[in-house]
Amino acid sequence: MSERLHRLLLGLAGLAGFGLLLEALPRWGVVSDRYLPPTSRILGELFERARHRPLWDAVFNTLGTWAIGLVVAVAAAVVLGMVIGTVPLLRAFTASTIEFLRPIPSVAWISAAIVLYGPVKMGTLLIVVYAAFWQMLVQVLHGVADVDPVARDTARSYRLGPLARIRWVTLPTALPYLATGLRLAATVALILTVTGELFVGTPGLGADILRASSSGATAGVYALVVVTGLLGVAANLLFRTVERRALSWHPSVRTEVPA
Amino acid sequence: MHRRLAATLFSTALLVAVAGCGDDGGDGGDDQPTGPAGRDQVTVGLIPIVDVAPLFLGIEQGFFEDRNIDVTTDFAAGGAEIIPGVQSGTYDFGFSNVISLMLAQASGIELKVVANGNNSTGVDGEDFGSLMVPVDSPVQSAAELGDATIAINTLNNISDPVVRESVRKAGGDPAGIEFVGVPFPEMEAALANGDADAVFVVEPFQTIIRNNGVGRSVASSWVDAAPDLTVAAYFTSTAMIDENPDLVQRFTEAMTEALAFANENEEAVRNVITTYTDMQPQLASEITLPAWPPEINRASSERLAQLAIQDGLLAEPPDLDALYP
Repeated sequence: MSERLHRLLLGLAGLAGFGLLLEALPRWGVVSDRYLPPTSRILGELFERARHRPLWDAVFNTLGTWAIGLVVAVAAAVVLGMVIGTVPLLRAFTASTIEFLRPIPSVAWISAAIVLYGPVKMGTLLIVVYAAFWQMLVQVLHGVADVDPVARDTARSYRLGPLARIRWVTLPTALPYLATGLRLAATVALILTVTGELFVGTPGLGADILRASSSGATAGVYALVVVTGLLGVAANLLFRTVERRALSWHPSVRTEVPA
Repeated sequence: MHRRLAATLFSTALLVAVAGCGDDGGDGGDDQPTGPAGRDQVTVGLIPIVDVAPLFLGIEQGFFEDRNIDVTTDFAAGGAEIIPGVQSGTYDFGFSNVISLMLAQASGIELKVVANGNNSTGVDGEDFGSLMVPVDSPVQSAAELGDATIAINTLNNISDPVVRESVRKAGGDPAGIEFVGVPFPEMEAALANGDADAVFVVEPFQTIIRNNGVGRSVASSWVDAAPDLTVAAYFTSTAMIDENPDLVQRFTEAMTEALAFANENEEAVRNVITTYTDMQPQLASEITLPAWPPEINRASSERLAQLAIQDGLLAEPPDLDALYP
């Protein structure tokens, strides 16, 4: 416990040091404060905005798009991954297609998304789902592939049905992979949500960054960037906690707890 | 325990997803949705810049409400997204510069202008956009920029022919100009760092660059291109006009009244700008505003089209009878 506290304090000190550096750079004239305002001015702008509705509307819009995209991507990836992963023929049949589609950067679809849906939330959702889906699918496939063949055959000998096999054999093996996939997908989905808002123009923090930028409000731009960073940290913490709780029985988590 | 929690979380999330999916469908002109008071709901695609102030004034002053229209404004990331948005019916109306409209027409997209957007002030040296060079640059006239690297917001669009025209008008030859695409907010840095010999910039960045002592104007390119140039216009799809001509007519009337109001009420304009942009009130009070005549200046568009053809942007003259009201 004391070591965790120690690490937390060190981490906070590092953050404070970073803030001080960004305060000092423009004050020393290393960079112009018109391009990089000092930390104090950015935080001041942030607190000012936090007192008004538009910032919170933007945060909720971003969180909404992010959550919807993540849920759709994760649900689709888990279902498809389980099916593809348990049928070897299907796995072989889809492997090359997956390996072709997966590396395409989601942002490459932005123009297509705009043509398909126009500058609406659906366009942003499309790229969010696309990016998050592959992160999750690959983990599900690995998880399913990791099932011990002896356990699988034993379950079959005991005449467990397909659903029971998924519940008692596949899931316990795949769960740590799913947790990792979820955490990766959540982070990627947030990045793509803000990217989509910036380039498709759907309401949210990304669109507000763009508006601040086109009004010459530099401190506002940085304040909103800080908010996106805070969301990212919060998302990561949340999914790490979920992972630790859901996998408390699993060796990969269990061994972390000091005896 | 965990299982139940997970199941609850998952089903809640799924519900949110399903409920959220329907809220953003595109509204075609087909069956125009009506609001609680029976008003027609229209969505207008815009970019959050000074030029669209009259629309916000029109909403504030009730000019649209008077004509039974409820306007929702939707900010697109850039002008490039607005035309597909109108074409697909996501937006009922859009705001775009006239070269973009001509280029869209040339590529077979059927659009029609319904109201004037904004115009140059027509006053050389006092317009809302200008060609700027670094304060310490030896360049004194646009004529010396014939071989320069010039930053413009969007390549192969409206800035290209108007900047070339400034160089020609000043007695130079624009053949050697190298245009680079730089977003307006980054033009100050492009000038300061020497990435560009000149930038063609609009408000509020013209004022910011001047106030920061980074650049000075050498030409008013909107003014050089044509007298009282119409820079941008409000438009809709021909499908919308076919399906709901009455609504289009009322939108045009409201917009025309809003333009006239904006032209006569400078203070109201400067106030409304701070409501839909992030501009500081001080900055909003300093910038040079465009002109907002209620009527579109068709002669200026013909001139602009000539320049665009001459500079290779357009292959043939646009069909302005089809594009303009």
